[in-house]
Amino acid sequence: MQPVKLDISVKTFIFIILAVFSTTTYGEIELLGEVSVEMRSFQNEGLFGQKENHSSFTLSPELYFESGNGKDFFSIKPKFRKDAEDKERNLKDLQELQWTHVSKNYETKIGIRKDFWGVTETVHRVDILNQTDSVDGFDGEDKLGQPMINLSLEREWGVLDLYALIGSRERTFAGEKGRLRMPFIVDTDNPVYESNEEENRMDFALRWNHYFNDLELAISHFSGTTREPLLIPTPEGNSIKLLPKYDLIDQTGLEALYIIEGWVLKLEAITRSGQNDRFTALTTGFEYTQTGIFDTSLDLGWIIELNHDDREDHSPHAIGTRFSFNDIDDSQLLLGVLWNESTGETNIFIEGSKRIGARTKLSIEGVIFNGGKKIESNNFDFGNVNPLDFLQEEDFLRMELTVFL
Amino acid sequence: MSQSNVFFFKRGIILFTLTMTFVLSGEISANKGLEIAIKADKTSEGFIDSQSSMEMQLTNRKGNVVTRKMKSKRLEVKGDGDKSLIIFESPRDVKGVAILSFSHKTSADDQWLYLPALKRVKRIASKNKSGPFLGSEYTFEDLSSQEVEKFSYLFLRDEDLDGQPNHVIERIPLDPYSGYTKQIVWIDKKNFLVQKIEYYDRKSFHLKTGTFSGYKKYLDEIWQASRMEIVNHQNKKRTVLIFKDIAYKTGLSDKDFSQNSLKRSR
Repeated sequence: MQPVKLDISVKTFIFIILAVFSTTTYGEIELLGEVSVEMRSFQNEGLFGQKENHSSFTLSPELYFESGNGKDFFSIKPKFRKDAEDKERNLKDLQELQWTHVSKNYETKIGIRKDFWGVTETVHRVDILNQTDSVDGFDGEDKLGQPMINLSLEREWGVLDLYALIGSRERTFAGEKGRLRMPFIVDTDNPVYESNEEENRMDFALRWNHYFNDLELAISHFSGTTREPLLIPTPEGNSIKLLPKYDLIDQTGLEALYIIEGWVLKLEAITRSGQNDRFTALTTGFEYTQTGIFDTSLDLGWIIELNHDDREDHSPHAIGTRFSFNDIDDSQLLLGVLWNESTGETNIFIEGSKRIGARTKLSIEGVIFNGGKKIESNNFDFGNVNPLDFLQEEDFLRMELTVFL
Repeated sequence: MSQSNVFFFKRGIILFTLTMTFVLSGEISANKGLEIAIKADKTSEGFIDSQSSMEMQLTNRKGNVVTRKMKSKRLEVKGDGDKSLIIFESPRDVKGVAILSFSHKTSADDQWLYLPALKRVKRIASKNKSGPFLGSEYTFEDLSSQEVEKFSYLFLRDEDLDGQPNHVIERIPLDPYSGYTKQIVWIDKKNFLVQKIEYYDRKSFHLKTGTFSGYKKYLDEIWQASRMEIVNHQNKKRTVLIFKDIAYKTGLSDKDFSQNSLKRSR
């Protein structure tokens, strides 16, 4: 678990913000928030005796205000999560504590914030600024707040973003009683850093993006502590634990998106050095939407994304169909399959959401893991393990009810 | 010239005359239709930029009403279609979602969607504009900038609507991805303001009827309806759109319609 570091620098920062805003007239002030209750039901008991039903509670209030002249914006948004089973899934995080200043020729965003890079739907290879809160959701789209200074220049030749990233965050991993987890526990209390400054190193990134009619392009580079640690097996007593190893990496990314008629073609590619050999990885595919199917207001969106990763002999491909019902409750359903060509493993997933009334939303998510060999807890062959072998007992259905305050 | 030749000759002239009359009147009615459309377009020209709040009231078959709120910003672009930014305020789960679009007179519009939960800007295919907008009876196509160049026109007739003399024209969308085969538009003769539109779907079925009311003149030159209503004849649902706090020439610029501004839209 990563406690909020409300240390001297954060306090100083809040002080500066208050000083800036006390000299201007206030514009809009908003106090918002989200509360959600989540239940995850697994088909069976876990390989290590973890319970079948897991529940959690998340609270995320938000304060936003802007200056009267519309040039300064401030937001603070903490996120608290309490899990009934897995203490590693408890979270206290500052998702946002940021001050945005808009000037005539540039824009600065200073503080803790989230920023997304990328164009694809199933795997986000280029996105690197924020650490993934991997125990939150299965899709890897939940992120932790990242302290940074961002200078953004918007010109005729596109948008250039320069980032100084102040320190890095550790990835979250499920604990002993948690699910989904690997056969060995990731020791998040003892991370290994390549940098002497450990998690306090200042990292740098930049990204240029622009569009040319129906083509969107972005090129980015990140130099610093990896967000994706290697997990190093380390003996501990009779057992083994995994130490997360955060190397210094250099990663260059390319994003391209092209619209042709109703088709959206997408490509994300990266090349990374610093973690063993340099490698490249890419995701490419398309999204195609059919509107008004069967004379109803239903839209069908087809998504196919193919993967390549030098580090793996075989990367799973994704095929999905998104049903947008376009009704008053904004009902959505996404059905999909991740298919590993070489091992024959499949991973069937369903995601749905529906609004209830004006302030409540119900989301469901289900995953079925198919084709892996069933592993007995203390008897398996390391050299002959497929990616989904450990997940054979982990089929689950997740329901979440979110109330917006 | 034999009798029969004269007959054929005469018939030829009649046929020629008839054809020419048809062709010319066709051209005349097309020109007249276009002229009316241009005059109607002029009533909202020169607004430079505008900001407004919108309230959308969705009524289902049983008469239950739900409300959606959004903000809208528009920027007039010389020689091309307008730029617009729509920011959703309610329902709460979509608060902060925003759509930036650059409409073009002849080519497809450029559109970006901002998803605040992921902090993600996503380019979307503007071809998918014929689906319902926020679960309403309006589509994005109905609400986007109605450039004169996006249709071909035909003058149909003059007739009274609610006691006011109107021109009735037909306009056919030139975009093959339009959800409509044609629209019949009532434009009042006095001020050239659109009063009513009948929408015909891809099967030429009369799907919806839209009405415009509460026109007000801003800055002595720009006409804007304060209430729009659309009724779907197929599913019997209707949507009312009310414009509030309308302001023109507020000093918006290209910078307010950029990807960076999309990311901080509230």
